[in-house]
Amino acid sequence: MPDTASPGPTRRPAQPSGGAILAVEDLTVAFGGLKALDGVSLSIAAGEITGLIGPNGSGKSTLVNTVSGQLPVRGGRIRLHGGDVTGRRPDRIVRAGMARTYQIPRVPPTLTVEEVLSVPLLYAGRDRHRLPGLGDAAAIAAFCGLGPLFRRFCGDLSVTDLRRLEIARALACAPDLLLLDEAMAGLSHEDSVEVMGLIRNVHEQGISIVIIEHLMRVITSLCHRVVVLNNGRLLAEGAPATVLADQAVREAYLGKGFAA
Amino acid sequence: MKTGLTRLLPYVLILLATLALVWIDKPFWIQLAIGVAITAITALAWDILSRTGQVSLGSAAFFGIGSYTLAIFEPLIGLALAWIAVVVVCALAATLLGLLTLRLRRMYFAIATLGFALSMQVLVVVFPDWTGGSGGIAPPVLADGDPRWQLGLIGLLLLAAVALSDALLGLRFRPAFFMIRTKPELAAASGVPVVRMKIFAFIVSGVLIGLAGACYGGLYGYVVPTDVFTTNWSVLPLAIATLGGMDTTIGPLLGAIALKALEEVARSVIGGTGYQVVYGAVIILFVIGMPQGIVGLLRKAAALAGRRTAAGEKKKERERHA
Repeated sequence: MPDTASPGPTRRPAQPSGGAILAVEDLTVAFGGLKALDGVSLSIAAGEITGLIGPNGSGKSTLVNTVSGQLPVRGGRIRLHGGDVTGRRPDRIVRAGMARTYQIPRVPPTLTVEEVLSVPLLYAGRDRHRLPGLGDAAAIAAFCGLGPLFRRFCGDLSVTDLRRLEIARALACAPDLLLLDEAMAGLSHEDSVEVMGLIRNVHEQGISIVIIEHLMRVITSLCHRVVVLNNGRLLAEGAPATVLADQAVREAYLGKGFAA
Repeated sequence: MKTGLTRLLPYVLILLATLALVWIDKPFWIQLAIGVAITAITALAWDILSRTGQVSLGSAAFFGIGSYTLAIFEPLIGLALAWIAVVVVCALAATLLGLLTLRLRRMYFAIATLGFALSMQVLVVVFPDWTGGSGGIAPPVLADGDPRWQLGLIGLLLLAAVALSDALLGLRFRPAFFMIRTKPELAAASGVPVVRMKIFAFIVSGVLIGLAGACYGGLYGYVVPTDVFTTNWSVLPLAIATLGGMDTTIGPLLGAIALKALEEVARSVIGGTGYQVVYGAVIILFVIGMPQGIVGLLRKAAALAGRRTAAGEKKKERERHA
């Protein structure tokens, strides 16, 4: 691991980064004849915040949906903690230690925040002793700034609070690795700063994180490492500063005008 | 949220009503109560299934399977085992139908379950050696034909259905079921084994309706396919649960009482078969006018009354300060 090459602005995690927590080998996913992911190989280092970026249609969401078990794999392997989880059911993958958030969280409006959090607490079946501050629904809600809304119905929550709830729901799975799918899309500047603070706090609990994000300031201030996808292939990976300076990345991601 | 007392209310009401009717022993009221109880069980069962987003139009299949299973198995393996066979066969049918319709959404699911119910009726007619064909079959008479004991037994089954419905509205199941209904991917991403939970709800629902059907067949000891497999038994549970209030236990109970009362009033005022038109029209009006059902209406009234008392108390408070 090129540890010296990733001096991210965030503090180093409490737990030492011990190799890859998630490894994807030659992953191919196709919708009919269209290959959304075409032989992608990459690994996510334990204890880090990794940014997953790329233009629209580059395969970011497909990658998240596939590793979390919601899309069928056409070829390749997915390993979590070194164990093969290729083709496993989504709920089994949650049990194995990987949780994900949704960009548009559609929670039942007649459930309260407490009830939503109770679902992963009851069903994800994970050992909670590792995360002492996140042992029950009330603690998780408070951690995510939802304390005062604990008994409110989801139908009454604001977009920002629904985003927080979505992160809280994923945290209630007690994951080792958390995949955040555009957690900040559509939020105001103030709100996104708050959510960034929340992501840092999650990381300090010793949870490895992958974030899909379009906002470059989020990537540069949060991530230790960046992975760039383009047209379903891996374009670049490395420290944010290095990757974002890369000519090919700038052309693919920002457009040729910016790259000049 | 809910106090222990309101939780106990349905149980107490069912117990008291059953005992009172058995005590009074008026045939008309006992028959009416049996009708209410059987439809209430099917409505509770339908509601349990709908909480997972599976809006079924196939209740009649399980109703008929229940009554036919009891009738077919009783001569072969005896009464007690035949009742167990009802549970097993309905659970198997529910598992099969649940797996076949797993990927179907809303309308397509409803149509597939309706098709299942209709094909069951055809199946019965196609194998007359086993089922008696269109001529019908004779299941064992429930409680030796004593209506009071029949009501008592069906009342017990209703209590079991109420208890199951309540258990499935508890913290263990309700949030997971609702999450499966709203967004199954989100439930799976929270660790819920979605397929297993949907099949589980299907089994609970199917077995309850099957047991209700077996009781119904045992009322007179005679069953014909056009009676137990009619679309009526598929639509009625849905109409009652919607009328009473979905996602609740008390809703289907109130709905069943309201619907039977409406049916009896329409029958005596209009008579003939014309009453069914009026009765249908009233159901439609209720469903359009009160999507939350009777329970929703009561909640609104309670909220209104609560606001009024709160306002009144505030007023008193102000007067005291003045």
